[in-house]
Amino acid sequence: MQASRARLFKEYKEVQREKVADPDIQLVCDDSNIFKWTALIKGPSETPFEGGIFQLAFAVPEQYPLQPPQVRFLTKIFHPNVHFKTGEICLDILKNAWSPAWTLQSVCRAIIALMAHPEPDSPLNCDSGNLLRAGDIKGYHSMARMYTRLAAMPKKG
Amino acid sequence: MDSDAILSSSEDMHDANDVESDEEGFYSDENEVASDYNTDDDDVDDYVIEEDEDGINMIQARRPENNYIVLKELDIKERQEDDITSVSSVLSISRAASTILLRYYNWNVSEVHEAWFADEEKVRKTVGLLPGTVVQFAKPRELMCGICFEAFPRSRLKSADCGHPFCFECWEGYIRTSINDGPGCLMLRCPDPSCGAAVGQDMINIFACDDDRCKYSKYLLRSFVEDNKKTKWCPAPGCEHAVNYVGDNENYDVSCLCSYDFCWNCTEETHRPVDCNTVRLWILKNSAESENMNWILANSKPCPKCKRPIEKNQGCMHMTCSPACKFEFCWLCLGAWSDHGERTGGFYACNRYEAAKQEGVYDEAERRREMAKNSLERYTHYYERWASNQLSRQKALVDLHQMQTVNMEKLSEIQCQPESQLKFLSDAWQQIVECRRVLKWTYAYGYYLTEHENAKKQFFEYLQGEAESGLERLHQCAEKELLPFLNADGPSREFIEFHTKLAGLTAVTKSYFENLVRALENHLSDVGCHQAGSLATSSKNGTSKGKGGRGKETSRAGGSSRN
Repeated sequence: MQASRARLFKEYKEVQREKVADPDIQLVCDDSNIFKWTALIKGPSETPFEGGIFQLAFAVPEQYPLQPPQVRFLTKIFHPNVHFKTGEICLDILKNAWSPAWTLQSVCRAIIALMAHPEPDSPLNCDSGNLLRAGDIKGYHSMARMYTRLAAMPKKG
Repeated sequence: MDSDAILSSSEDMHDANDVESDEEGFYSDENEVASDYNTDDDDVDDYVIEEDEDGINMIQARRPENNYIVLKELDIKERQEDDITSVSSVLSISRAASTILLRYYNWNVSEVHEAWFADEEKVRKTVGLLPGTVVQFAKPRELMCGICFEAFPRSRLKSADCGHPFCFECWEGYIRTSINDGPGCLMLRCPDPSCGAAVGQDMINIFACDDDRCKYSKYLLRSFVEDNKKTKWCPAPGCEHAVNYVGDNENYDVSCLCSYDFCWNCTEETHRPVDCNTVRLWILKNSAESENMNWILANSKPCPKCKRPIEKNQGCMHMTCSPACKFEFCWLCLGAWSDHGERTGGFYACNRYEAAKQEGVYDEAERRREMAKNSLERYTHYYERWASNQLSRQKALVDLHQMQTVNMEKLSEIQCQPESQLKFLSDAWQQIVECRRVLKWTYAYGYYLTEHENAKKQFFEYLQGEAESGLERLHQCAEKELLPFLNADGPSREFIEFHTKLAGLTAVTKSYFENLVRALENHLSDVGCHQAGSLATSSKNGTSKGKGGRGKETSRAGGSSRN
């Protein structure tokens, strides 16, 4: 408990200091609970998520960083490795490939990388995975783009 | 004297005839051999080296049944240590590194050597053994732990070969978490995600608590047995021995030091001469729910109203379903009983069934029911015999034990004979145990012989019948005819006759079973298409000629009593 709190506090200070360093990620710690975090990440360019702002929720376990944080999308997203309803993310570093040297910041970076490079062979969203596996890049792009516009971009006017 | 002659003649025959039948020998022999290897490590090494250098020599030097070695926990540990030492000295690497390498290559020493000398750099990369520190630090005094991000003096930090520094506390947590996650801890890597340097037992020993260190060694030991393609755990409950199989002649029967006999290949109990696949099918069949389904299908009909299956075990055709439903119906036509009366030809002669049957309405369902019933009866026939031989074998095992621990000593006193001369008794019981096992599995074999292999089937049933009746006589003699001597006051002449008879029966039964086993292992290929019966008989008489009239007499007597 003490170790995880200390470590999270270090990450907190680091985030405060580096706020400008990574313009794609904005990590915020819950005011009353250091084990709850949210992040806003920018959809990577040259992907159907470009221009969207996606919100992530972090639940950090007491064994952190020996155990990985639980992360899910709060913003709806059409992506093979994200559960369409719950926002759960299928990413190896959040499961068995976790290393205590990862930080919340680096997890965000890994998720951005996942958005740009989906893994259609282990899908949580089968519809999305099937489009890619069938080679229908155009179909995947238009679906993903539509949901990005609907859910991740500020309404115009 | 007579018995001696029979014994030796059969023994000669079987030595001279072929090597195959030698493997058939009693497990006690193999047991002795196995434990010899066990206690004498030089022997084991000799054996392996001989095999490597000159396979032919080995076969001449050793009897072919020595194709496995039972390993106790200490033996396993010792072998593992030896392999680690050997690799570490040949490749000049640390023992921890050598362990990591061996585990990666499934504890195959020669494969490690081969891969290493082919491309050392590649091997180092894949298993995570870096040739030297990859991370250099300019500032020597204080460094930051990569997990808790606190600064520590260098002396309070530790790293794997790669040099990524982590503090002691974080190492402890990292290693504890990994060990408690299971055997994956054997493949532990540096916590730095980009690194991949292996974290070996040397680090575990520094940072893990006693319990975890113990767990780690257990995993390592298990890996040595489970990842090694030539070793398997003895499947007997509670047994902690492993069996190292070194033969390749497809005789997989092994006997653990815990006295459990099993097939090394499929880890079911020993089942020669039946092959592993048949055994798998049979065991699956015995446990399959489908047999229950067949029974329900054959013996019950669903209540026309509530659809619960109903068994009709006696009585008239007027059925009343059990409470709640209470539907009254006719068993024959499954119509409501209220419709029955004079109109349908009277209560007890439901014409509707006969009429519908003639029209063919019930044919399909009825035919299925009939077929299920037939196939179930066939299965039951084989299963009952399989199971009763199984029971009989278990009883014989108990009797054998009783013989070896109590009765031999008692008889030795009563009959004034040294126990060494009473060995024929335990021989007989060992033969019984072994034969029951073979006989049991021949019933599984018989079940899978298809109908159109009629000639084979006849030949098989002939051999099985011979063997079975011989065994029954032997079992009877060993069980019943011994009793008077156990309760006698002193030595008797009859005991010598009994000795002759029992030893003779043992030898005869043994040869019957050898024939049976040989025939099944050839898949009954001796059977021609037409004259199967006569061929079988003649070949049979040919092999058993040496034993004179006794064998024939047995078979005839048994043959008639069998049905």
